[in-house]
Amino acid sequence: MTAVLDEDRLSETFAALANSTRRAILARLAEGGASVNELASPFALTLPAVSKHIKVLERAGLVSRGQRAQYRPCTLDATRLEEISAWAEQYRPIWEDRFDRMDDYIRQLQQATKDGTTQ
Amino acid sequence: MTNTGTSDSVVIERTFDAPVALIWDMWTRSEHFAAWYGPNGASIPVAKMDVTVGGSRLVCMEMQTPNGPMQMWFTGEYREIVENQRLVYTESMADEEGNVLSPAQMGMPEGHPETTEIIVELEDLGGRTRMVMTHVGVPAGSPGAAGWNMALDKMGALVDSLT
Repeated sequence: MTAVLDEDRLSETFAALANSTRRAILARLAEGGASVNELASPFALTLPAVSKHIKVLERAGLVSRGQRAQYRPCTLDATRLEEISAWAEQYRPIWEDRFDRMDDYIRQLQQATKDGTTQ
Repeated sequence: MTNTGTSDSVVIERTFDAPVALIWDMWTRSEHFAAWYGPNGASIPVAKMDVTVGGSRLVCMEMQTPNGPMQMWFTGEYREIVENQRLVYTESMADEEGNVLSPAQMGMPEGHPETTEIIVELEDLGGRTRMVMTHVGVPAGSPGAAGWNMALDKMGALVDSLT
């Protein structure tokens, strides 16, 4: 898997998550697998509309479908969510360093002001 | 200093021994922003910041490498401005004209969203300031980034409880 492909995958994951109905479907699936019928019931949506959302989630790798023809339960695939988590964590040390510098800079400014007023 | 992590964002909380107006200036006045923002060994030669809602920003980070100086440019837009309380802006990698470049074009590591959002919340503790910075990897054009964030937090907690 190249970096470019991973990048495309991540964009797809974010695009799939940028919809409140799909997030609600994922939240429901986090509690356990469900059929399309079961997923449709809490929403004022037609079965084809729900199926469409599930297809988007499936393409983004967030949801897997069972193989049985009649009853294909949807389950949550947490791997992609972990990839997003990895994205966030790489930023933590960068920001921590920045805020250390902000703190130092503020002290310098305050010291300069103090020196200025006492001279 | 405490840190809390969520599934889709970095949240860092700090308390500074400085008045809230000074911390606000750290984020909104380019000469102050440039002084702390760059990584160690880097400088911020350009920080154009039009701190108005819808105003744009263009920041250049310059690093010294064995092959000479290397520049990285970032652009974005200010989304919310409540003086001394709350600042929200977006960030994307860009060229020096401020045209957005995809992370893959820039050879960034995998898993880097094209546009991210930075939320700074300040609380006046009477001479001291509590700051909460949230960096969200959300496509900035998507509706209701805050709601998105909350929904994912909830989902992340559920996922954690299952795995």
